[in-house]
Amino acid sequence: MGKKRKHSESVPEPKKIVESAPERPKRTLLGWKEKVEEDRETSSPIFRNKEKVLVTCSRRIIYRYRHLMLNVVSLLPHCKKDNKVESKESKGATLNELVELKNCNSCLFFECRKQKDLYLWMAKSPNGPSVKFLVNAVHTMEELKLTGNHLKGSRPLLTFSSNFDKDPHWKLLKEIITQIFGTPKDHRKAKPFHDHVFVFSIVDDHIWFRNYQISVPHNEIDKVDRGGLDKMTLVEVGPRFCLNPIKIFGGSFGGPTLYENPFYVSPNQIRALEKRKKAGKYAKKVKAKTRRKMHEQSNQLEPDEFADLWKE
Amino acid sequence: MGVLKRKPSVFHKKTVEEDDVEDVMGEESESEPESESESELESEEEGDVKLAEPSKTSIYNREGLLEQLREISWPENVEWIHKLTIDIDRDQEVDVNDDLARELSFYNQALEGTRQAFEKLQSMNLPFLRPSDYYAEMVKTDAHMVKVKGRLLVEKKRIEESEERRKAREAKKIAKEVQAQKLKERAKQKKEDFESVKKWRKQRQQSGFAGGDGDDDMSLAFEEGKGFERSKGKRPGVAPGDRSGGMARKGSFKGKKGSEKKRNNRDHRDSKFGFGGKKGMKKQNTADTTDDLRGFNKGDFSGNKKRKRF
Repeated sequence: MGKKRKHSESVPEPKKIVESAPERPKRTLLGWKEKVEEDRETSSPIFRNKEKVLVTCSRRIIYRYRHLMLNVVSLLPHCKKDNKVESKESKGATLNELVELKNCNSCLFFECRKQKDLYLWMAKSPNGPSVKFLVNAVHTMEELKLTGNHLKGSRPLLTFSSNFDKDPHWKLLKEIITQIFGTPKDHRKAKPFHDHVFVFSIVDDHIWFRNYQISVPHNEIDKVDRGGLDKMTLVEVGPRFCLNPIKIFGGSFGGPTLYENPFYVSPNQIRALEKRKKAGKYAKKVKAKTRRKMHEQSNQLEPDEFADLWKE
Repeated sequence: MGVLKRKPSVFHKKTVEEDDVEDVMGEESESEPESESESELESEEEGDVKLAEPSKTSIYNREGLLEQLREISWPENVEWIHKLTIDIDRDQEVDVNDDLARELSFYNQALEGTRQAFEKLQSMNLPFLRPSDYYAEMVKTDAHMVKVKGRLLVEKKRIEESEERRKAREAKKIAKEVQAQKLKERAKQKKEDFESVKKWRKQRQQSGFAGGDGDDDMSLAFEEGKGFERSKGKRPGVAPGDRSGGMARKGSFKGKKGSEKKRNNRDHRDSKFGFGGKKGMKKQNTADTTDDLRGFNKGDFSGNKKRKRF
């Protein structure tokens, strides 16, 4: 029953944000320069990022991927986590409905198939594009070798490698990622400092994600001199994953295909190939045997004239 | 036979190629361009394993992509503070399979990005670093961080231990070398001594046992003063179990009685079991022994009873 109540509560939230958020800059924290801020905002039409991300997964997701999803949830203060979606319902329409129901305008859908493969959908909800990725090389935040830690809800810096601007599909992906993973400014759950940085980097046509904590070792943090920035180090917080884009669709969870990865091979296919290779072993042996027989028949050895020489 | 042996391998190669070709053909016939979201992944197959050249059937709708990009992107004049994005040029291509190089490139990208972002934030006069007295909920819980710390400590300890072990091993090696060096030197010394003595004897013989010249010769032989010097570290001729420090052997104890043989026997025993010195506080009471009353009134009760009976 608690879930139902949540639904009803979640509806008024966006309004609250809109009403309360413009007040924010006046609550000066560590001496913000209000005047400059106000001047700028009045000069341009006020832009307000009201991004909300629905994060959910399919049923029968395995624990590792579920943990990854929870990590993502903890990194995005502007997201809403929802119940698992029945895999039959993971067709576009129901998901779209769900996103609308939750008042979100984008969605991260973790889809686990065959208890092995994780697919990640990123979708802009009402009519934006959606992308389907295959997720590889997953490391969750719980792993002990990732030793960093940062504030929950601080806004991340997003760094992109420059090859995101090479092709239109990468450009589109960059925009989607910026909107989904960037925490809106003055979000009520966001904290006013920046102590972690996301890395999105394209290597080998895959998008690699990393999350680092920024640690600056000096005592007076307000006065950051150049020396302090030079001494800055990063500690990895996690999670890690690698996204292999499969397709980009025109609509959300559906619509015309705009892009298709020409190099993509589904993991099912890879497994099938491996199996076939193994299965072919016996057939190959038999083939080789018959071939050998044929060969021996076709060019027979000449009868050895000296065979009986020592038999006498 | 060599020819015969070689041929099957050629055939084998050929068959593999054939198989692959067949596979590819099969897949391509299956893979038709699908427009909508597929429920079955098996249907969207194309090409060979990763390394193959791009499949020709794949869709690339450049206009559509740009259109979508225009549709969803934020207005042009959005301030940077809303986006917080930084683009970083990578100097050279990274090898994906080289984990270290790859992670390093990511790290560098993050570091460079952070520097640029911080400069921007600084120029905007916005606070960006957490003050040291700002406590709030963290992404990882304290319990988890304790675990992380524990692991780090264990790792550190392990490294230190192995380092120590390594050092000990090396020290042992060095000690061995030093010991060998010492032995060699000693042997050399001995040889020299003998030789010098021989030389001296020869000279003495040549000079016809002349007493006057002998002194000069002797001084020649031992003029370095090393001749019969002994190392100070270890007293020679002391058995490992000798507790009198070799004094027993020397027989410096005076006023001992007995014949020569008995005397030797006694000395040997003294050196083996000890003679003189502290008795190790064996006979003094301590707090424990004073409190220990077990030794008193042992079996006295029966005696008392008997006495009463009488």
